[in-house]
Amino acid sequence: MAEFSTAIIDRGDVSVINVSGYLDAHTAPTLESNFTELIDNNKFKIVVNFKDLAYISSAGLGVFMAYVEKIRDNAGDIKLTNMNEKVYNIFDLLGFPLLYEIFSTEDEAVNKFNKSDKVGNDESK
Amino acid sequence: MTNYTNLNADKINILDNIQFRLFLGSSGALLVFKLLFSGSELIVYKLVTDLLIISAISFLFLFLMDIFEKRNASPFSLIMNIGILNAFVFFLIMFSDSIMSLLFENVNEKLNNPSLVSTIITLAYILLIVGFIIYVFITLRHLFFFRQSGSQKIYFYTMLVFFVLASLTAQYFGANELSFISDTFMIISVLLMLLNSLRISWIAFIVKKEKIALLVLSIVIAVLFIVNLNNSGDATVHSKMLSSISPSLKEFTEIIMLYAAIYFSVLFFTTLFHIPTAEAFDRKAEEVSSLQYFSKLITQVLEYNELADTVTDITIRVSGANASWIIWREKDEFISLANKNIGFIDSNLLNKFILRKVDWENLDDTIFLKLSDIEVQSKLSQKFRAMAISPLKAHGKLQGLLVAICKDDKKFNEEDKNAIATFSDYASISMENSRLLEESIEKERLERELDVAREIQRKIIPEKNPEYEDLEISSVFVPAFEVGGDYYDFFKISESKLGILIADVSGKGISAAFIMAEIKGIFESLSKTIENPREILIKANDILISTLDSKTFVSAAYCLIDFNERKLNIARAGHCPVLLLRNDTAQRLKPSGMGLGMSREKHFEDTLDELIIDLKENDTIVLYTDGITEAKNENLDDFGEKYFTEILLESRNKSSDEISKKVINEVSMFAKNHSQYDDITLVILKWKPRHSEERGRDRQKIKLNGEKEWQNSAQQL
Repeated sequence: MAEFSTAIIDRGDVSVINVSGYLDAHTAPTLESNFTELIDNNKFKIVVNFKDLAYISSAGLGVFMAYVEKIRDNAGDIKLTNMNEKVYNIFDLLGFPLLYEIFSTEDEAVNKFNKSDKVGNDESK
Repeated sequence: MTNYTNLNADKINILDNIQFRLFLGSSGALLVFKLLFSGSELIVYKLVTDLLIISAISFLFLFLMDIFEKRNASPFSLIMNIGILNAFVFFLIMFSDSIMSLLFENVNEKLNNPSLVSTIITLAYILLIVGFIIYVFITLRHLFFFRQSGSQKIYFYTMLVFFVLASLTAQYFGANELSFISDTFMIISVLLMLLNSLRISWIAFIVKKEKIALLVLSIVIAVLFIVNLNNSGDATVHSKMLSSISPSLKEFTEIIMLYAAIYFSVLFFTTLFHIPTAEAFDRKAEEVSSLQYFSKLITQVLEYNELADTVTDITIRVSGANASWIIWREKDEFISLANKNIGFIDSNLLNKFILRKVDWENLDDTIFLKLSDIEVQSKLSQKFRAMAISPLKAHGKLQGLLVAICKDDKKFNEEDKNAIATFSDYASISMENSRLLEESIEKERLERELDVAREIQRKIIPEKNPEYEDLEISSVFVPAFEVGGDYYDFFKISESKLGILIADVSGKGISAAFIMAEIKGIFESLSKTIENPREILIKANDILISTLDSKTFVSAAYCLIDFNERKLNIARAGHCPVLLLRNDTAQRLKPSGMGLGMSREKHFEDTLDELIIDLKENDTIVLYTDGITEAKNENLDDFGEKYFTEILLESRNKSSDEISKKVINEVSMFAKNHSQYDDITLVILKWKPRHSEERGRDRQKIKLNGEKEWQNSAQQL
């Protein structure tokens, strides 16, 4: 099938994974290795930007399921942004909006992380 | 040496050999003849003696030839044997004098006037000498023909004829005015000996070590033959013993010994001249044999790593390097492979150096590098001095680098460069072939696995649809090549209730098939105790959350039709919406719910809704999997839910079978230029109550409630 690629950009302590192309059973390992790498480096605040994603299969969806528990156990989260309608529908059918925070822009997702940090810090004070 | 012992081993059935028997017969006849007519000076007597000797020699010759032919001995071992035998004969001749003197008081007297004992001893001695001479002759013949084309036969056999002529004539004409005849034969014989001794082409094919050994051996043997020849002068007992039986035989043994002396002298000088080029020749021969060996290897099924090991092994052999390994490109990383005589830490260190130093991307030929160029002096650069790097390319793309490394910086030369280059060309092709082979084996394995998966899927999907008078049921299932994990089933809960499940396992192939089988088991058993779709899905999630791995989930929709109540109850766990065709509209029934196996019990339960609908006559319920809506055409456009709904609405007044047929036709038309990637499942239910009038009126109230319920959550398309 068509190509798939990812790029990781750090925005403060939030890591943004930009995914593009076709995410299916054959290309999922690329994204999996991205998540493993981030987790190994103790980066648990992850935003996945779907702006350039054309298609996602159920195996692609599985990648998010595989890592979310570990990330949340470490006070992190996976937030999803910039989905086109088709991609959103796939996520929606499966009930992902019930499990993940989905934003329309990357900034919103990053801000949400920062805000919750602040709240967390305020609380600790 | 070994051949010598083999000779003994062959003697076990020696007596069965017809030629050996004839030889014994001739020898016996000779003995009897000698005893009967001793001392006769008649020409006839001499001729008969010679004939008997010739026949004995011929039979022994044929017998020994037979043994020789069966054994394919190397020239070197043959010469070893000659050396040993020669030494033995040397002592035999030397001590023949003293031994005979010990046995008989007057040897000369005895020989001229032989007794029975002396004749037997003389004959035995002569047979030993004859055996030796024949052995030498056969060996020389063997060496002559070794690695020689067939046309040379004539020279050798002409020589043999002249040997015999010279031997015979010496006796009969040697002492008178006709001696020129035997002299002529003798001269021609010697010339032919010289000519034939020059055919020593096999010398080139033995290795240097053997050449040096041969040099020593050939001179020793040549000297021994000369000494033996010298020791068999007319005055010696040896000579007298031979002459007493047949002067021709004595002549013949001398001719053969002369031939041997000449041959081994020539051999000595030839070997001497071959020594300087021996090493280069060895190298070339090694190269050729390595390549032959390698080409033989690659035609066999070889495991990839095993092949890489062979490649580095042979590289060391052909180039005389001390260590070798392969730098293999895996995606964008370079790894050391098949290290020979070098550790991975060292090779990895050198890899970095090589990759920095060499424009490997455009490397076309073998290049040399000096390790003294390494910026950081290390133990490595002291240990190794020079290296040769050769690209391994397949289809024009660099696969890796073959590295050979050497302790001596003058070691690598142009020859080595060519050897490594030739070899690396060969190696890259074979490694690529091996990789392709492994891939195709893997592919075959996957295909077999998929066969199993398809078989499982075929068995767990219902063979036929249940039949009801009030409900038309139609189902279509089109499996994808890579089993997509679709599953549907019907559960007859009671006479008046039917459960319908449609599910899609994430992932493909054999693992998806196993999960499908698990789902079937779960729903088969749950549907026996639980009627409510929502509750069934909750229970199924409870079970699946602990058995599915974290990235696998199952989307499912479960419908319950109550024939008495005329109701449809739907719960949906992350599956495509259920479509309801009523009048001219299609409604998406999409109660909230996430896929099975995605979230813990409580969260799943909290977010799962159900939908209850009162069925009306001609209501058509459509359950499907994303194999339909995500079917693709050549432009990778989706078939899409919108188009799907349009087709459904167009054919809504037809029977359920006709509707599903229409849909499948449309999907296959749409996707005809694109391979089917996912399973396609379509289940269509059409509500056709028998007594619609009365029953419909009875249920008026409930229907109204039901409509309210689904209108809240269902979108209208």
